[in-house]
Amino acid sequence: MQDRLRILEDLNMLYIRQMALSLEDTELQRKLDHEIRMREGACKLLAACSQREQALEATKSLLVCNSRILSYMGELQRRKEAQVLGKTGRRPSDSGPPAERSPCRGRVCISDIRIPLMWKDTEYFKNKGDLHRWAVFLLLQLGEQIQDTEMVLVDRTLTDISFQNNVLFSEAGPDFELRLELYGACVEEEGALAGAPKRLATKLSSSLGRSSGKRVRASLDSAGSSGSSPILLPTPAVGGPRYHLLAHTTLTLAAVQNGFRTHDLTLAGHEESPAWLPLYGSVCCRLAAQPFCMTQPTAGGTLRVQQAGELQNGARVHGVLKGTNLFCYRKPEDADTGEEPLFTIAINKETRVRAGELEQAAGRPFTLSISNRYGDDEVTHTLQAESREALHNWMEALWQLFFDMSQWKHCCDEVMKIESPTPRKPPQALAKQGSLYHEMAIEPLDDIAAVTDILAQREGPRLETPPPWLAMFTDQPALPNPCSPASVAPASAWTHPLPWGRPRTFSLDAVPPDHPLGASRSVAPLPSQRSSRSRGLYNKGPLRTWLQSPV
Amino acid sequence: MSYIPGQQVTAIVQRVEIHKLCRGEILILGFSIGGGIDQHHSQNPFSEDTTDKGIYVTRVSEGGPAEISGLQIGDKIMQLNCWDMTMVTHDQARKRLTKRSEEVVRLLVTAVSAEGCAAVHQSPGE
Repeated sequence: MQDRLRILEDLNMLYIRQMALSLEDTELQRKLDHEIRMREGACKLLAACSQREQALEATKSLLVCNSRILSYMGELQRRKEAQVLGKTGRRPSDSGPPAERSPCRGRVCISDIRIPLMWKDTEYFKNKGDLHRWAVFLLLQLGEQIQDTEMVLVDRTLTDISFQNNVLFSEAGPDFELRLELYGACVEEEGALAGAPKRLATKLSSSLGRSSGKRVRASLDSAGSSGSSPILLPTPAVGGPRYHLLAHTTLTLAAVQNGFRTHDLTLAGHEESPAWLPLYGSVCCRLAAQPFCMTQPTAGGTLRVQQAGELQNGARVHGVLKGTNLFCYRKPEDADTGEEPLFTIAINKETRVRAGELEQAAGRPFTLSISNRYGDDEVTHTLQAESREALHNWMEALWQLFFDMSQWKHCCDEVMKIESPTPRKPPQALAKQGSLYHEMAIEPLDDIAAVTDILAQREGPRLETPPPWLAMFTDQPALPNPCSPASVAPASAWTHPLPWGRPRTFSLDAVPPDHPLGASRSVAPLPSQRSSRSRGLYNKGPLRTWLQSPV
Repeated sequence: MSYIPGQQVTAIVQRVEIHKLCRGEILILGFSIGGGIDQHHSQNPFSEDTTDKGIYVTRVSEGGPAEISGLQIGDKIMQLNCWDMTMVTHDQARKRLTKRSEEVVRLLVTAVSAEGCAAVHQSPGE
């Protein structure tokens, strides 16, 4: 089955590449090649990594690459269709009038995304089980651009999922649709029981805590089903972590605001589905849009400006149309050097522009007038261009600006600040959980010796030599130990010698989560720490939500 | 407190009496507390035992009534005016400490030390 999937996958990649080549679209082809290479790299990394966190990161990159490839393929098919239709003589793009005005593009940035969680009180008080952790990230799609946020670990100590980075889309039209998808995966559970035989797994899942047992059973049931488009881009590692879609929403221009706003999330799945997170159902974020007409100059040239009411000929200035203002500088160089303009004429939704041809005064051709209303007064400026073409350009620029303002609506009221996103830090090696029970993932391939190794260290220096009964296990690895809780099926290969000195790092500095047996964290090194009278601070990792009150 | 099977447990139990200081309208004791059964115990830097959800002293203001009475940072408050403080929420603890009707609070605190055996000594003035 795996071979068949692999062949299909290769064929698909070939098909995609051929399509890209035939279109001779070098830009898209390059992007597609890049994504395919990234995907291969992510598959290799996934197959090679041992740590759960690494696997999660690799699976996330894989998911993002897959989405990007699918979207590029969709784009390719659209262009191929257009090309084919064009070749047969029909040009659908020419259906409208030739001088169809299109609004200017803009930059859309979403930042400070926060998704509140709604934990049940049973998570805190009755559930003495493991600290369930989820890895979540957001996939954002605008047009054909797909971007992702960093992966964030969530557990019941957090009240919201917060994403620090901001995501910027550089080419977006006013009719953009920003699709947000929240994917989540469990950090612990699936891995521990992935390899266990069915009977033991069901026994274990029924004996675990209420909520974790439900989750495990759900994940086991759905282990057979795979994600979207399995045939086109099959997931290579069956035992690896799988992300599930938790929620999604679509944001448009109406959601843009120069501040924080809350939007509704459509939740996918229910409590029984795997990787279920109790989401409150909304997402808070700051969605800002900067149309290019607001940030880049759209027209410039020499003008002679006269304010209505003045008798003499107006001043000769260099005008620059940028955003909702027409800046008039003394010299063309002033605009670049940042000098203050002589004066500024505001151009907004209420401004009225009239071509001067109608009221052409003798000897003053090529004029247009701009009228603004300030309270009760109406101020009119008359601008004289140098030639007919210049006047036409100015009129064109002004009409385009008005059109853009009508399309981008409230984004043109004032320029919204967008910070360029800082380059993403490489995924930090997540802090190793120092608890014994985290290091000791009891998998069937693990050896009994490691368990006794750890137990021996807990007892302290008393246990110097390996207990005599251990010899039983080194000789006959296939003997299942009735007392050990999860030692299972005969280990497939007992190739390494007794790993008595296997290094296990017990760092007391890490955040110790709850573990099911509830024993105290007493490891041999502890007494030495207590030798000093000073109340040493036991560094428990980042102090997050631990309340302190002055009295 | 933490418990290692086979190891000696040493603890110092102390009775501390603090007279609240009047600062205008409010009475202050001069220290900060952390912890509670509704807080996440693993974030507590003062407790060795990770399942300890008790109330701990996280900060003592210099020269305040708490410091004068001998309260130290890292102490765990067991009782307050004979009310139990080992199984209370953070807010309940704060409220009990800041009762305006009480001018004196008598605390039973414990602190862990490695040397010596369990000792109970009274603070002066008790």
